[in-house]
Amino acid sequence: MSYRKKYLKIAVLSVLVSLLAGAVVILILGKNPLSAYYNLLQGCGLAPKAKYAGGKSMFTDLSSYIDYLTPMLFAALSYAVAMRAGLFNIGISGQMLVAGFISSVTIGYSTLSAPVAKPLVLLIGIVSGMAVGALIGFFKYRFNINEVVSSIMLNYIAEYVISFFIHVKYVDPVSRQSRNISDAARLTLHQIVIGGYKYDIPIGFILAVLAVFVLKFVFDRTVLGYELRAVGLNPTAARYAGIHVGRNLVLSMTISGALAGLAGVTYYLGYFASIQPRVLVSTGYDAIAVGLLGNNDPVGILAASFLIEIIGKGSTYMSSQAGLQSEIASVITGLILLASACNAFFMNRLDRRQAAKEELHRKKEEGGIQKGERV
Amino acid sequence: MADDQYIVEMNHITKRFPGIVANDDVTVKIRKGEIYALLGENGAGKSTLMSMLFGMYEPDEGQIIVRGKEEKITSPSYAAGLNIGMVHQHFKLVSNYTIAENIILGNEPVRKAFGLFPYVDIKSANDNIRKLSEQYGLEVNPTDVIEDVNVSTRQRVEILKMLYRQAEILIFDEPTAVLTPQEIDSLLKIIKNLRDGGKTIILITHKLEEIKRVADRCAILRRGKLIGVYDVPSMDTKEMANLMVGREVELTLQRKPAHFGDVVLDVENLHVENADHFEVVKGVSFQIHAGEIFAIAGVSGNGQTEIADAIAGLLRTTQGSIRILGREISSFTIRERTKTGISYIPEDRQSVGLILDFNLAEDLALRNYYESPFAKKSVLQKKTFEDYGNRLIGKYDIRSASGNDTIVRSMSGGNQQKAIVGREIEQDAPLTIFVQPTRGLDIGAIENIHRQILEERDKGKAVLLISLELDEVMQLADTIGVIYNGELRKTAPAADFTTSEVGEYMMGVKRS
Repeated sequence: MSYRKKYLKIAVLSVLVSLLAGAVVILILGKNPLSAYYNLLQGCGLAPKAKYAGGKSMFTDLSSYIDYLTPMLFAALSYAVAMRAGLFNIGISGQMLVAGFISSVTIGYSTLSAPVAKPLVLLIGIVSGMAVGALIGFFKYRFNINEVVSSIMLNYIAEYVISFFIHVKYVDPVSRQSRNISDAARLTLHQIVIGGYKYDIPIGFILAVLAVFVLKFVFDRTVLGYELRAVGLNPTAARYAGIHVGRNLVLSMTISGALAGLAGVTYYLGYFASIQPRVLVSTGYDAIAVGLLGNNDPVGILAASFLIEIIGKGSTYMSSQAGLQSEIASVITGLILLASACNAFFMNRLDRRQAAKEELHRKKEEGGIQKGERV
Repeated sequence: MADDQYIVEMNHITKRFPGIVANDDVTVKIRKGEIYALLGENGAGKSTLMSMLFGMYEPDEGQIIVRGKEEKITSPSYAAGLNIGMVHQHFKLVSNYTIAENIILGNEPVRKAFGLFPYVDIKSANDNIRKLSEQYGLEVNPTDVIEDVNVSTRQRVEILKMLYRQAEILIFDEPTAVLTPQEIDSLLKIIKNLRDGGKTIILITHKLEEIKRVADRCAILRRGKLIGVYDVPSMDTKEMANLMVGREVELTLQRKPAHFGDVVLDVENLHVENADHFEVVKGVSFQIHAGEIFAIAGVSGNGQTEIADAIAGLLRTTQGSIRILGREISSFTIRERTKTGISYIPEDRQSVGLILDFNLAEDLALRNYYESPFAKKSVLQKKTFEDYGNRLIGKYDIRSASGNDTIVRSMSGGNQQKAIVGREIEQDAPLTIFVQPTRGLDIGAIENIHRQILEERDKGKAVLLISLELDEVMQLADTIGVIYNGELRKTAPAADFTTSEVGEYMMGVKRS
């Protein structure tokens, strides 16, 4: 069995086990797990609801789900790029916030027209995320500061500094959040009416899918991908081979930061149009689950984020329909993370079983196996 | 019913690990007061068999009889209770304790001050150990701290540890692997003394000479199976080697006379510090010509690997010059040095020479992946990787489960080394550095690598060989430099040295 096949088997298994465990929890709460899971699909526009409000259809829900999914896809890709080089970027949420804030105050509150504003938002998002990522990579390379420590610290700095500025300068007195950005700068075309139905069309999604395939190519087919993987798997051997380890560390954090920046602008200037002060979104952390489940492979991540976000997005509808707490969704997501984090263990079990099978097979062929013999 | 003449009987022992059968129906019977050798290649199952006698594993099938009584040996302390002791290949000592403290550890003589407060009676322990060491001719000073004493003293401490615990059956696991020839002589003498003193000795080794010199009987294992038990005096080493490997082996290498060309590597007054800023290479100078094998002999930890790392650029030099074909390279990056003409087979093949989670094709391209034809405009050419991999797999006989796609971690040590050697030789660099190229390999693989080192030399390459195996140095080198404490104590043509002379320089007792 190839590595990829084996991994897929484990991923599917861990999702099934998690859903099963979630079902038990729902049963204990006295609800029907099957209808609760069906509610999740309905909430994402993947199954028809019984009835829709005026101007809404299944595809309205689907477009909104895709819109919700986009930042997660970028964030999980960001996690994967760092992981390739063996770095654990736990600061994705902070990098998202920095990118979202800088783009909001520079472009979001400007009067630029849409064709100018939207590309600029993307560009500024990329650059500001990149800057934070590069800083973390540089700390690691120059001063050997663990990236986990520096990115967590930067998360706090971003959270409090930005909330200070929002409070003193950009606050909306009613919502207590930052003021809404202009529609021209927003990356989601909000409440667009086509054929009598309303849709939220996320421009960033196209870019995210593009990023999936670009990264897939970079990882598997380029010199950079080879070097990143070498550095991630064995920095000593990479150095022996003449690879500049430090440069690759900084580079991977820079790309990771850029993708986190894109996650930030598609979140704060796309799905939402404002920033809630003193809150770090959970997307950056959930991205780790998605990355793990997707085996840090861009295409795997695309599939994993679709799956995980069904649970996240559908939970609101589920809780209204089935009368379940929407936190149940977080429980299931957590279980999936736990199960896929154990993949090394399962992988080992599979290997051992396979080895035992081969041994048995070999013995049989040699004709030496006796009835009742322990193998 | 057990036979009285045997002190240990291991009958029909089978032990399986996932994927392999380490011991397959092995029966050995050991007489009281003999030196019994277990001979076999790496992975033949010698250590596994003895680990079961020592209680580290339990057999899946079979029985162990000690002194006529069937025993289930569940732990090393149970084995110790049966007066079985083992000297491991890697010493298990606390390095900042004294020799006496190490020996009594876990078995301390406790006395009570004023009949109340318990304390360890180190004084009487020191005296006892001194007496014990005199009795068996194992000279140690009980109050020395382990980190200050040399390898052979540490080994004597391990032996004393067993004797202190009244071991009657002593298992030695590859005891000579780390010793110089003089130290080996004295160890073999000690082993004989112990036997003459009534102890039973089990010697695990793959060195035929030693068995010939001390053992009474020897059991040969191959791939987990017992090939046979032989009386040592009735056999020669050649027969033993053939039985061990399972085919005819060449024990002596065919070497052509050397033809030296121009100077390829010129090292002058090289100073190197290790990671702790401790000077480990102190002003070393030597030259290697085309067509010459220059070997650096020395006891482990005298600065020899640092010389190799400094030439390859993995360690920074603090002073001195390194020239390849007249070009000064000491300020070059690692890749620039490789390009200038250095191939390097590092000491630690698994953590330096290979990326174990890469597949074989990727690891074979580790030196070339970025340049044409492996990469065009930064895009890797999978076809080139495959073709190149296949070519090297064939040429260097690299065996693996699924060729190019095999994850290197799953390959055997010998084949991993073949992959590195193949990759580095293919660079066709004027200088090739081999550090411990045959460490941990079996006879077949060693033969193969030695042949390739000689081929490199005959092709007119300069070869720097750094090895702790003195036999290897004596067999291959044209010129030998002996290193001690970071200095080359003596450099001369190999023909001018005898093995024991090299040994004396290695230990620092002789200087020129």
